This record gives sequence, structure tokens and C-alpha cells, in this order.
Amino acid sequence: MSILQAEQLTKTFETGGDATKVAAVGGVDFSVAKGEFVAITGASGSGKSTLLHMLGGITRPSSGRVVLEDVDLATLDDDALALIRRRRIGFIFQRYNLLPELSLLENVALPLVLDGKGEAACDAAARKALEAVGMAARSGHRPDELSGGEQQRGAIARALVTEPAIVLADEPTGALDSANSARVIELLQELVHGQHQTVVMVTHDPDSAAAADRTISMRDGLIFSDTAAGAGVS
Amino acid sequence: MLLRQWARRPGRAAATIASVAVAVGAVVATWVSADASRTGYRRLTEAVEGFPTVDVAARGGGRFDAQKLPSLADIPGVRAVVPLFYRPTLLRVGERRVREVAVGVAAQTLTELGLMKLSAGRPCVSFEEVVLEESLAESLGLGLGDEILFFARRRIERMTVVGLAERSSISWFAETSGVIVDIRVLGEMSRSLGSLDRARVVLKGEATRQQALKAIRKRLPESLLAEIPVGRASMAEDVLHSADLGLDFVTGLTVAMAWFIVGNAMLMNVTERRRGFSLMRLLGATGRQVRRLVVLEAALLGLVGAILGAGIGLLAAGPISAGISRALQAPPGEQLLVQPLVLPVSIALGVLVAMAAAWWPAQEATDVDLLEGLASAPQPPARGTPWKFIVAVGLLTLLAVLNQALVLTEVFPPRAAVPGGMTLLLAFVATTPILLPPIARLLAQLIPRRFRVETTLAVEQILRQPVRTALTTGVLVVAVTNGIGLGHAIRDNVDDVLGWYSRMMRADWVLTHAGMISAAGSAEGLDSGSAETEVRELQGIDRVEGIGIATGRLAGSACVVVARDMTPGDPLPLEPVGLSADELRAALERGEVAAGTVLARRTGIKPGDEVPVEVFGRTTNVTVAGLVIDYTSGGSSLHLTRAAARRLFGMNKADLLLITAPEGQAERLREPLGRIADEHAMLLRSFGDVRAFVDRIVQGVVGSLWAILGLGFVVGSLGVANTVTMNVLEKRRTLGLLRAVGMTRGQVTRMVVIESLLLGAAGGLIGLFGGVTTALFIQLASQPLLGHPIQASFRPDVVAVNLIAAVAITAIAAWLPARRAAGLDLLESISAE
Repeated sequence: MSILQAEQLTKTFETGGDATKVAAVGGVDFSVAKGEFVAITGASGSGKSTLLHMLGGITRPSSGRVVLEDVDLATLDDDALALIRRRRIGFIFQRYNLLPELSLLENVALPLVLDGKGEAACDAAARKALEAVGMAARSGHRPDELSGGEQQRGAIARALVTEPAIVLADEPTGALDSANSARVIELLQELVHGQHQTVVMVTHDPDSAAAADRTISMRDGLIFSDTAAGAGVS
Repeated sequence: MLLRQWARRPGRAAATIASVAVAVGAVVATWVSADASRTGYRRLTEAVEGFPTVDVAARGGGRFDAQKLPSLADIPGVRAVVPLFYRPTLLRVGERRVREVAVGVAAQTLTELGLMKLSAGRPCVSFEEVVLEESLAESLGLGLGDEILFFARRRIERMTVVGLAERSSISWFAETSGVIVDIRVLGEMSRSLGSLDRARVVLKGEATRQQALKAIRKRLPESLLAEIPVGRASMAEDVLHSADLGLDFVTGLTVAMAWFIVGNAMLMNVTERRRGFSLMRLLGATGRQVRRLVVLEAALLGLVGAILGAGIGLLAAGPISAGISRALQAPPGEQLLVQPLVLPVSIALGVLVAMAAAWWPAQEATDVDLLEGLASAPQPPARGTPWKFIVAVGLLTLLAVLNQALVLTEVFPPRAAVPGGMTLLLAFVATTPILLPPIARLLAQLIPRRFRVETTLAVEQILRQPVRTALTTGVLVVAVTNGIGLGHAIRDNVDDVLGWYSRMMRADWVLTHAGMISAAGSAEGLDSGSAETEVRELQGIDRVEGIGIATGRLAGSACVVVARDMTPGDPLPLEPVGLSADELRAALERGEVAAGTVLARRTGIKPGDEVPVEVFGRTTNVTVAGLVIDYTSGGSSLHLTRAAARRLFGMNKADLLLITAPEGQAERLREPLGRIADEHAMLLRSFGDVRAFVDRIVQGVVGSLWAILGLGFVVGSLGVANTVTMNVLEKRRTLGLLRAVGMTRGQVTRMVVIESLLLGAAGGLIGLFGGVTTALFIQLASQPLLGHPIQASFRPDVVAVNLIAAVAITAIAAWLPARRAAGLDLLESISAE
């Protein structure tokens, strides 16, 4: 069952003083099934991060549409889009993006706090998410007291705390050493295979991409290949 | 490189320049406005009491030989030395006889120097010539060329009116007398040629009386003394005293506010680029090179901002100064007075403060570990007890209290209270990092539950950077301290003066003789006795109070002796200190006297003392019953009943009659009292006229100070707006992240506004304590000058206006930055350094 569809997605940016238009994404179609682990790969500048941002409603496409759980994100206003990001999408960033002034528990609880959930409910859900990534013992620490790997596991917990329809990860191992990278990828695999979570991950690391069920390769803003694990190019 | 950085982030550079411009503009506008106030005050004082003067008189009273008077004209600050000779006389105009004090003066010289203005004719220079004050001439029906008979010591002189003088131009030497004769002529007519009653030394406008007094005293022989004239209406000066202290304080506070605004802007500007500086160091730049770059940038931004601010300040000062002049009813058409030092000092201050403010964060940024500096987000400061602020608060408070103790014990002059007050203010600002967390959490409870999310995050943002938050709040603390402190001090002081005035002058009509004060110290007095009898015989009178006034000397110090009818059953027209009104009344009825607090402080007399008092050349020992709060002649006054004055000093006549009609019938007395006034060449004024005159002074002073305080609030709001804008710019990554994880634009807007409201309310609360303490400081500083403590009060209206203003300006100031925060591009914000 498809949970996310991208239909003829394009994104162009104006650059420089002469307003030259550059197509970062030039017409992309694909869909993601529930419980699928999709890796989007490509060289720097291939448009993979821009595509992910469009899928997550962080930036709006120039044309085409993104449909998440039968909701066309293009039809939503800013506030409705924020609600979708808050409740149905979990983000994982390369640079973790934890708020330095909050403890790990508070960071993880943030989407629920924004949603106006009660303190006890936020706390319980955040602890559960932290336990799931093996970080419960570090819940009281602030980000600057954690290693990169620990911060990223915290960021994963934050992405999961709302039990989203889909987790979007932008280079989640980009700032980590190989051991921590492996741990993070294992976590994502556990999510997909253990909890039937849907994950779309942008990466330029072949080892990380290899852990996914399916790999979409991008080149010059277009899908170059779309490969299921153990299958040929589609 | 700097230019490229500015081009890349023009908003940050512009916000920094704006901060400096606001700060320097505030200093320039306040400085120029304060000068306008002082000029207005001086004009007002001159209008009331003429020029600032110092008197030289014989020690022990009486006249002295003019030959003994040394040359004083070359003393710095002295404009002219005016010998004076007074002579009570009788004028005969047709069939009318009028008693007056004739004033002998070098009329020709005074006119040439512009110290006396004639509305018609010329000055008197020889025998048979007299100049009359114009209203006196009018009441006597005299004009230029008319003749009067002048009776003086067994001699009658026929004199011609050759000039008419403007009242305001002669009151400084003639008091309320209106007959002016050449001093040689009057001396010879009195057979006292070469004798002087006193020499009045006229000072230049900018000279301080105390300095001139000191210099003059050094020149005088033992037989002469120099003193501030006591027979003059120095009430205005007393009203203005605390206002002047207030102006000093406001100027100091504006400089402090400017420092906070610039300091905060620089702190944010530099801290925000910590990663860039670390990168430069990584590439081989030394810490010193980075700091030099930062300080150079601060100097350039500071210079641009300071020049802009100076222009803005001058533009703002124009209407404010004009408003102050209007409030003080100063002559219109005066050009904006800008002292030569204002612009260079303000610009230099802006640049230096910018450089100094940039140095510290630059030092911090270059001291940080390279790898830590390169981290994408700076580590938040450690939380815990802010010991260094606690120590700072303790030290600053100790310094301020010590300073105030030295002012109170008169080791330091009253003006030293200003730096003391500033130190205390800094102590209050330094409490901000300590008090802000609990206050912010407490205030957060008051915000409706439906904004819980925004409130929680706003509180987190406030607690994130305690030093920076303290600087932002510091601007508000200063503005609110300013408003509440000065608001209380000014109004308490004004109430004190008005309370005294209401006690002293409760009547419907005031009847005075043209020569109210017996300046020559003559026992002959003034013939209002018959007028008093006539008034008392009038129908429809509720109460007549006679007041006799004479200059005297107590324990060698000049004073004014006030003898007054004190009717049993009527409220005592004096406010005793340290004893009850009934006790004082009983003592006064026994023939004892009450001394003004300033006189007591100056002479060291205490209740119960028996002291010699000289009036009309007669010295009598009197017992001091107690002290009273009084502003007559600046508090150098001695009060007693008329019966006691008659017995002790032979003061028989009333110089001033206060007449009260039954309620609602005051107007009926206008005609009969006017007739009596005409017959006796006296002046009749309604109490409304007198009160309006006093109110004019008071309202002018209060209005001008409020104008400057208002300016402080405007500056505070601009400072807060700029700080919040920079705060938003700096936090755009955090804001972007919050938006990415689902915060709506509305939530972002509300969070920023709530954050500002909490800051405003917290700053207001801390400023409330600062303001009340500052008011006490100013009042305590006034005590040595006034000789009595001013009743301190708590004024909810002043507090409410200031707190509402603080919260409102922060809400308004935060609105645009909040909208901007909500409109930040999500992707750019997340990627921001």
C-alpha cells in the first residue's frame, strides 16, 4: 500500500544577480509503500536533499505534487503543513538539530509539546522513544554533553515520538564515524522491520544505502535508477 | 573583509548601526533637552527673583562705609557690583501720603548695563529726580514730568518723575519697593553719604553662587560678610533644586541605557559569528588579529551609528526642547541651544562604548577551544547560581550605600548622589540574571493556558542566555527605574512645596504693600496698620491674618523673621518637625520661636536653645521651641506670633494681609478691598492669581521632566525593538528547527511576543524596586539642602503607568521581529550557521 507519492515533482531556484533559473529537481515520479525503507542516493548537487525537503513539506515544489496518506501537501496552507510535519512526519537531520538549551528528554518531547499534549504524556512518550533507541539513561543530559552518535540517536527518538506515518532522514550518518553510522542504520532497519515504520533516507554513503530495501539514485535532478534490494534496475 | 561581511549580512550590520544610533541619539536628545530645561529654569528663576546674586553687608547689621568695600568686579563669574542704600520715606502726591522704602542705586549705570529696564523716560542722576516702578506710578496717578514731595530726615525735596521702571527688572534689588533715587542723592538727603546698606554682587548666568560666595568672602575685611540674599523669593530655586538633581540623574541614566543597548548589540553581533572567527583562527589568524578586526569593525559601525544618532538626537531634541520651553513658559523664539561639547562627546562616547562592548565577546570568542568554536551551534552557558552577579550586586550596593551615607553626612556634596544613584542602578541591573529566571517562571504562570507551548518555549529562550537577556532587560530596568524613581521624587518634592504653600497661604485675597520686606532693617515699619484696621472693619470677612516680615540675623546668620496671627482654633500654618502642632502652638503662644529647618542646619541651633536674634537693630534672646518645614527664603526663616514679635522686636505692622471670606462670597470683597488697596498704595491679588503663579512654576518643572522621561521610554522601546530583532536574527536556526518539527507561524509569533512580554514585565518589576529606591536616594540627597526629609510616598498611578508602558513597549517592539521570525524561510533557517 502506497503511503507517499511524488508526482512530476520539480523545483527550480533563481541564482545570482541575473536571476538564472536552476532546476534542482526536474520532474520526479515515485511512490513509497508503508513499511518500506527507501534510500535516495546521488552525488552532491543531484537534488536528493531538495527532493527530501519537498517530501517533508519543508519547501514547496515549483510544480507537481506530494501526496502523503492521501493528503496533497500542495493544497495545505502553512499552518496545516506545520501540523502534518508535527504529527505525520519525523525528521532526522545530518547535524542532529537538537536545541542546545533543552535536555535530551525535552528535545524528544518537543513535537508533542508543540502539539499541546500534557506534560505527563509528553514525558512518558519521550522516555519510551528514548528507550527504543537505547538512550533512556542519558535523557537528562543536554546535547553538548552527548557524543555525535548519541545526539543522532536522540534525534531519531524525536522523529519517532509522534509515531509518524513516515520518517525522513537527511544524511543521518553524514557526521558520524563508522561505528556510530552502523548503529544508526541498524536502528532505522529495526524501525522498518520491527515496527513496520516507513523510512526515506537521503545518503551518499553506499554502505548505508545498501541497508535499505530500495535505492533511488538521482543525477542532475532526475531519477537515474530505482532498485529494490536484490533486484534489477527499474 | 569587513565590507564583504557587511554585504553578506546587511541586516546584522544595519541592526548594530541602528543600536548605536538609537543610543547616541538618546544621549544627544537628553543632553540638549536637559540643557533646555536648565535654561528654562534659569529664566524662570530670574523672572521670579531677578539675577543670581550675593550680598555684602556689615557684620552685625547696620550700614557700612563704602570705602571698606574691596574691588570685587574682577572675580570670575561676577557681572557687576551694585551698591545699595535703602531709606524709608514718605511721599506726598497731591493730598495723598504714601509710605515707601526708597532705594538708592546708581540708576544710570544699571540702565547702561541692562540690569534695569525703563519703560519710559530716563534714569535719575541728580537731585530732584526720581524713577518710579510703573505700576506704583499708575496707582498714584503719576506720569513722566509729574512732581512729588519726598520727605527724608527733616528735609523735604520736590522731585520730578523722570523714568518709569519695569517691575521685573528692578525686583532683584528693590524687592517690592518702587521708588528709585540716585544713591548719592539719597545718601546726602539722609546725611549718610558714603554709607551703604549692602552691595549686591550680580553674577553671570553660568556662575554658581557657592563658588562666587567663596571667592568674595576671601576678599572681604573682617567687618563685612558675604551671604546669599534672604529677602528674595528663592522658593523657585528650591523647587528647582530636586529637578536639577533629577536632570543630572536622567542624563546619567540615558548614558547607562545607551551602554546597555550598544553592549547588547555588540555582544550579539560578535557571538553570532563565533564560528567564523574560529574558522579564521583555524586558517592561521591569531586571537589578537581577530580581536583587532572585531574592534575595528565596532569602531566603524559605531562611528556611522554615532553620526546618524547625533543627527537623530538633534532632530528629536528640537520638538522636545520647544515643548519644555512651552511648559516653562520661557520666551519663545530661542534657537535650539547645543553646547559645543554635546556632539563630539556623544559621538566619541558611541564609538568608544561600541569598541569596549565588542572587546569582551571578541575575547570570549577567541578564547574558546577551536573545535568547540567550529561546532554548528554554540554551547549554551552553564546553568547554576550566578555567583559573579551576586558578588557584583553586593559590591555595587555597598558602594552606593557608602556614597549615600557620605552625602547625608555632607562629606560629599548633594550632587555626588548622582553617581551613587547610578551605582545603585547598576546593582539593580546586575540582579537581573539572578532574579530573571524565577520572575520569568512566575510571570509565565499568569499567561493563559492555551499559550502554554509558546510560554514554555519562551521561558526556555529567556533562560538560555542570562547575560544577554539581562542586557536587554537592563534597558527596560533603566527606563522603568527612571520613570518610577523620578516620578516619585518629583511629585513628592512638588507636593512638599505645595503642601507648605497651602498651609502658609490659605486665603481668598492677599493684600501687600509695595515695599513688603523691611529691607533696611528699620523699626519704622510700613504703614499698613490703618489698612489692616479698615480691612478688619469690613463686613463679610471671615478671617484676617496679618503677617509681618523683616530681615534679621540669628547667631550671625541672615534670616527672615515672620510674625503671624495664629488664631486659636485655626490650623497651625506651620509644619513642625519632631513635635506636635499643639505643642508648637503652645510654645509660640508663650513667646518662643520656631526655626526653619535650613536655618537650623546652617546655624546649628536646636529646639530648646536660647539664641540672640537681631531685628531692626535690636538684639533679643529668644527660645527655639522647635523646627518647622518651611520654604520662605529657602527655609532660612524664624516664625513667631505677632504678639511676640511686637514685644520682642517692636514689629507692629503687618506687611501682608491674608483675607478669607465666608465660603462662596470671596468675590464680594473685591471692590472694598480694592478701594483700601488704592487708598494705601497697596497691591490686591486674589489667591487664585498667586496660586496660578506658583502652579506655573511647578507645572513647568514637572512637565519638562516628564518630557525627558518620555524620551527615555521611547529610547527604551527602540532599544528593545532592536535587541529583539537581533535576537530573532541570531536564533533563526532554532526558529527554523522549531518550524521544521511542526511549530506554526502563529506559534512562532506568539512565542517571540510572549518572550518579550515576559522580559518587559520582569524588567518592569525589577525597575519598580530600582525606581522606589532611586526616589529615596534623590529625596535623601535633597535632605541636606532642604534641611528636612521629604515624605516619601508610594504612588500606584506612577507605578502602573510605568509598568504598563514597559510591557506595552516590549509587546509593540516585539511585534515586527516576531512577524519576521514567523516569516523566516524554513530551509535557510535550518541551514544557518
